[in-house]
Amino acid sequence: MLKRRIFSVILFVCFIFQSLSLTSCGENLQKYSEYSFDLFDTVTSITGYEKTQDDFDKVSAQILDELAEYHRLFDIYKRYEGMENLCTVNELKDGEHRTVTVDKRIIDMLIYAKEMYYKTDGNVNIAMGSVLSIWHDYRTHGIEEPWAAELPPMEKLIAASEHTDIEKMVIDEAAGTVTLTDPQMKLDVGAIAKGYAVEMAARTLEEKGITGYVINVGGNIRTIGAKGNGEKWLAGIENPEGDEEKPYIEYLNLSGEALVTSGSYQRYYTVGDKRYHHIIDPETLMPSDRFLSVSVVCQSSADGDALSTALFCMTYEEGLDLIESLSGIEAMWQTTEGEVLFSSGFLNYTN
Amino acid sequence: MSKKNAVETAEENSKRKIKNDIIFIVALILIVALGTLCYFLFGREGDMVKVTIDGELFGEYSLSEDNVIEIRWGESFNILVIENGKARIESASCPDGICVSHRAISRSGESIICLPNKVVVSVSFSDEKNQPDIIA
Repeated sequence: MLKRRIFSVILFVCFIFQSLSLTSCGENLQKYSEYSFDLFDTVTSITGYEKTQDDFDKVSAQILDELAEYHRLFDIYKRYEGMENLCTVNELKDGEHRTVTVDKRIIDMLIYAKEMYYKTDGNVNIAMGSVLSIWHDYRTHGIEEPWAAELPPMEKLIAASEHTDIEKMVIDEAAGTVTLTDPQMKLDVGAIAKGYAVEMAARTLEEKGITGYVINVGGNIRTIGAKGNGEKWLAGIENPEGDEEKPYIEYLNLSGEALVTSGSYQRYYTVGDKRYHHIIDPETLMPSDRFLSVSVVCQSSADGDALSTALFCMTYEEGLDLIESLSGIEAMWQTTEGEVLFSSGFLNYTN
Repeated sequence: MSKKNAVETAEENSKRKIKNDIIFIVALILIVALGTLCYFLFGREGDMVKVTIDGELFGEYSLSEDNVIEIRWGESFNILVIENGKARIESASCPDGICVSHRAISRSGESIICLPNKVVVSVSFSDEKNQPDIIA
């Protein structure tokens, strides 16, 4: 009889613990998040599990500081007092680019970008600045004055595309210098810089043994460890149709991986009735129109960023061949026809 | 007291005890079930919509109360409408209008972001199961 009483009390205690676990999240860790609009011309969010807001704020400030350094180094639009960055690399002096001595972090990123150019068969090319700056100007103007929105003339784009040879970006690793030997070429690292910076900031956290964080810079998502309670992060890939009943196409379980999505619905302008987004196909010099979005899951958000952009500009078949040839990298494509396609191991991440 | 009577009393006693135990367990289960039910019915009403401008808190509003909030900062504005447990941006001063065309949000962690106005409208995190922590 006594045994039975004890049993029922244990049962009761179990119930209580179970219902408590619905409201708390283990070890007194709480989930905090912060947004910043100061970096890479997009929104940055940091989410993390900590005991107190103060603890979170400290880590979050460190992450934002490091990202801000990369932002200044990789900024192609703005010069900063007392430093050389990609803006000064792009500058002309007496009609030519200077040989610029830059921070090692710039050299490392440029070398990486060149590698990715060859890995993706030229589908991600940071030497395309001359073409992309034309699109950037027309898009900015078209957003500010929608009634006067225009497409860039094709002749102008073709003329600019003559100056996109990545081999004319000459890097001297030992001397720490970079020179653009074609005066009309410009660098635009928009397809790589964010993911690269996020990866570097994430590795800094990992070196310090910090886990339970997610950094998201404009869709370049990198998880640092699992959640505070040890569970994997659940990531929902947004339905670009904006369907309230089915807001997410897939749910992925992540713990330390990167998830990067390139989408045509994030940045665009409208000419007539048609939307023109910001991912420009190096071949056609026009926005690539095969996909609504491409998502890449892998270890490094730098790879994720470069590959999602490259896949966006390749056919599904070409892209699939590329992804299957790389280990530890998976992808999901949403076509403009509404089809959802996967690489062979992508669904291993879903539940 | 005869031997027979003593056995009957013992049996009755043990039956009563079992009955008491059953009542005890059923009552416990009922209490816990009621508590859980209350949590799901009323706990959800705690879902809040948080508005920040450039990272600074502008205000927090209950998702369960219909409301119209003018998020104004200098020249720029976003009109937030909370209706039937969902939040959406009705109109805004931003040039691209991406926040206005964004679907209504209601689930834990979902957000509408207006990049030009630096406005984030987000549903606060609840520890509900099967809700994404990350939206890609």
